[in-house]
Amino acid sequence: MLSKDIIKDIIGTVLKYGGDFAEVFLERKYENRFELKDGKLEKANTRTIVGVGIRGFLGTKAIYAYTNVLEKGNLLSVAKRVGEALGEVKVSDLVLNFDDKNLKNRHIVYFNPKDIEKDKKVDIMKRAYHFAKSFSDLIKQVAVMYWDYDQDVLIANSEGTWAEDKRVRTRLMISAVAEHNGNMERGFYGPGAGMGFEFFDRIDVEEAAKRAARIAVRMVDAEPAPAGKMPVVISNEFGGVIFHEAVGHALEATSVAKGASVFAGKLGQKVAADCVSAVDDATIPNAWGSANIDDEGTPTRRNLLIDKGVLVGYLIDKLGGRRMGMESTGSARRQDYTFAPTSRMSNTFILPGNYYPEEIIAATEYGLYAKTMGGGSVIPGTGEFNFAVMEAYLIENGKITKPVKGATLIGKGYEIIQKIDMVGNDLDRGQGMCGSLSGSIPADVGQPTIRVSEITVGGRNK
Amino acid sequence: MTFNEFKDKIFALAKKDGFEVQIEFNEETEFSIRYANDDIDQYTDASKFSVLVKVLKDGKIGSSSTETLENPEETYNEAVSSWKIIDSEEENFFFDGKGTYQSMETYVGEFEKVPVKEKIDFVKQLYQSAKCDEKIAMVPYALFQNFVIYKKLSNTLGLDLEFKSDGAYSFAMAISQDTSNHSGVWLKVGKKPNELDPKEIGKKACEEALSLLGAQTVESGKYRVILRNTAFDDMLGLFRSMISAENVQKNMSPLKEKLNQKIGSDVLNILDLPYHPLSISNRPFDDEGVPTKEKAIIENGVLKTFLHNLKTARKDRVEPTGNAVRSGISPINLYIKPGELSFNELLKKLGNGLVIIGVDGMHSGANPISGNFSLGARGYKVENGKIVGAVEQITISGNFLELLQNIESVGNDLLVTFGTITPSVLVKELDIAGK
Repeated sequence: MLSKDIIKDIIGTVLKYGGDFAEVFLERKYENRFELKDGKLEKANTRTIVGVGIRGFLGTKAIYAYTNVLEKGNLLSVAKRVGEALGEVKVSDLVLNFDDKNLKNRHIVYFNPKDIEKDKKVDIMKRAYHFAKSFSDLIKQVAVMYWDYDQDVLIANSEGTWAEDKRVRTRLMISAVAEHNGNMERGFYGPGAGMGFEFFDRIDVEEAAKRAARIAVRMVDAEPAPAGKMPVVISNEFGGVIFHEAVGHALEATSVAKGASVFAGKLGQKVAADCVSAVDDATIPNAWGSANIDDEGTPTRRNLLIDKGVLVGYLIDKLGGRRMGMESTGSARRQDYTFAPTSRMSNTFILPGNYYPEEIIAATEYGLYAKTMGGGSVIPGTGEFNFAVMEAYLIENGKITKPVKGATLIGKGYEIIQKIDMVGNDLDRGQGMCGSLSGSIPADVGQPTIRVSEITVGGRNK
Repeated sequence: MTFNEFKDKIFALAKKDGFEVQIEFNEETEFSIRYANDDIDQYTDASKFSVLVKVLKDGKIGSSSTETLENPEETYNEAVSSWKIIDSEEENFFFDGKGTYQSMETYVGEFEKVPVKEKIDFVKQLYQSAKCDEKIAMVPYALFQNFVIYKKLSNTLGLDLEFKSDGAYSFAMAISQDTSNHSGVWLKVGKKPNELDPKEIGKKACEEALSLLGAQTVESGKYRVILRNTAFDDMLGLFRSMISAENVQKNMSPLKEKLNQKIGSDVLNILDLPYHPLSISNRPFDDEGVPTKEKAIIENGVLKTFLHNLKTARKDRVEPTGNAVRSGISPINLYIKPGELSFNELLKKLGNGLVIIGVDGMHSGANPISGNFSLGARGYKVENGKIVGAVEQITISGNFLELLQNIESVGNDLLVTFGTITPSVLVKELDIAGK
């Protein structure tokens, strides 16, 4: 899209006017979003975005600019504005020889979504619709969303980095609404992967659709969840959203570098129960949150965050690294070129322990079984998190007794990870979109079944 | 290729294939400065454009968008291939532009003229003001952002409209510390520089954080509650989704079959305003080119209308209401008509109960289909009309329609955010989970 010479010129122009580091992020993304409601395809949009992000640093000061007018004159004038905003000229004589990293692609894609006829994608959506709708007479509405994209990025910087990557992702999302006796509840399941159309050879569309429908049907006649503090058993896979929100965000350099995180300055210290170990791993082949390089061109890696309760790592981008005096962990991400990159999670999960999930339930006298989590959020400065439980049951005398709806879990992340007292052996990951300073990005959350000895459950009072 | 050449090419291709076509050109520029740790944390200077092409035939629309003007054929072909897979029997159409467009000043142009140095001084002051007390442990965000939007909408039925708008907003977050951390945030939007005072916004964020020092949870139970404008603003997200005729027609709203029925208390009046002098979301026409207009959504508790785009209006055999946006249907400025009482008078009327100043988890803990919500919340405890302490680590739960019925009083303390203008409301009863 842009020649090496123009990119060199952009970097050189930034540094001619100011700063000690300059970076170019060039992106081209092709994406499809389809929406099926009541069995009919209602919306179909195909989108192409092409743009450039230009960033400069002076020490820990960062200036970001983006544009999608890719003419040389415009690009150089944007670069000049970035340099001028940085102010001080630090690099007198830039000799730039790009070192092409030429990394091995860990995420092989067989059928690029660009090359697949749109009606084949619609067929998958209709199958999902059919299985969800016919699951039960109580299912009144089914919406199926299909999303795929093919993103090509190039990152070059004044340190000589020249790195290219292709990220292909495919996701199917099923939302089913059950209605009974005037109550309406929604079930959702949205599996995705860093794959092309072959994704649908790997997942069972029928199973996925039924899963969304099952949640809606189970919850529609459920009683309101109890309110108050109680033990909570959180199921595996998407249950990992608790770690993502409650702890993961507070380990991002964005919070840590400012001292805005409760985990700032705690490396090497005990922050969680002994049974808790957790990683962020962007190298898992074809996972939803994986990539070969991050959005600053640094090769991704597996980062151990907590080892048997001890904090051993943060998630760091280049700017965060400058502020913290630490190396990048390959964790810089952004939604697209309209966002400056920052430290983000990729595929983040609690590592498995020894208990069978059934043992964990059996060991719980009374509490909530959070089978399917909804979304959640956190305020990193205070550690306060909240998330919705989409599918929950009551545990009484070590047995799951009845479905309950409307439960919300709230608490402070650093307290919760100290209160995890049982970790299961059934690790799995689920897919979500994570929203933060650098936009909305695909991220896997994950965990085995865990038990937290006490969480405040927001429900209804009798 | 220029935009006009691109447009002409696509109009010609569509004509050959018998399609009607509509092209929307969007250009956005954004300037923002974020301050933290006594320095500029992020500085963004940006502009981009995009073009959305919609093709129409047999009542079906296919669309495609692009950020490059180099390949009109490719963009057109993608839209046509999307059109081919649509099998919804619902009829879509374009608007011909025949209508009365309200004239309004949406572009002022003053923020663009403010020198960068003054904007940097603004966030510095904002940051310093947010650190108003030694109990403030940090100010993780202090932000100023201004924007300009330009939109041009044309179709083969003769619609040809353009619109330019600008505005700015500023936001600060302060964290106070005792045995734990407490956050205070404040946001203000403005059309002109004199509407945004960094000292005032920073001080507000600081005071909010300080006000939560010593916060405790409360006993679970039912409480009388004031939802302060800052919290009610967030919770109105549920209502926005419920009044979309699209959601109603798709059986995704608890308001279906409730038109002209009493769904809220007598004191509740909600309008949609195309223009409000303090809003940065004003618009003379919607994303389908239909003129926007003022209308009552709830009048004295009675549901008067849903919000429509062209398609939903035809289905319900009513006039479109000018509420089409790219993602569906939305109010332009959702306006909760203020009542008589000041916030302090609301407190007196509350007597004993809680004030909720902020809620968390609207995107996960609130269900727009049923109206049920269960949200993390913070605020104050009130005894005999006086704030006696801070409250956090609680949740508020209920159903939004029950809540509307339970509104006892509406305050006069209007807060203007992004397309929502609301005062505080006093609610007879809400479920609180704490201890």
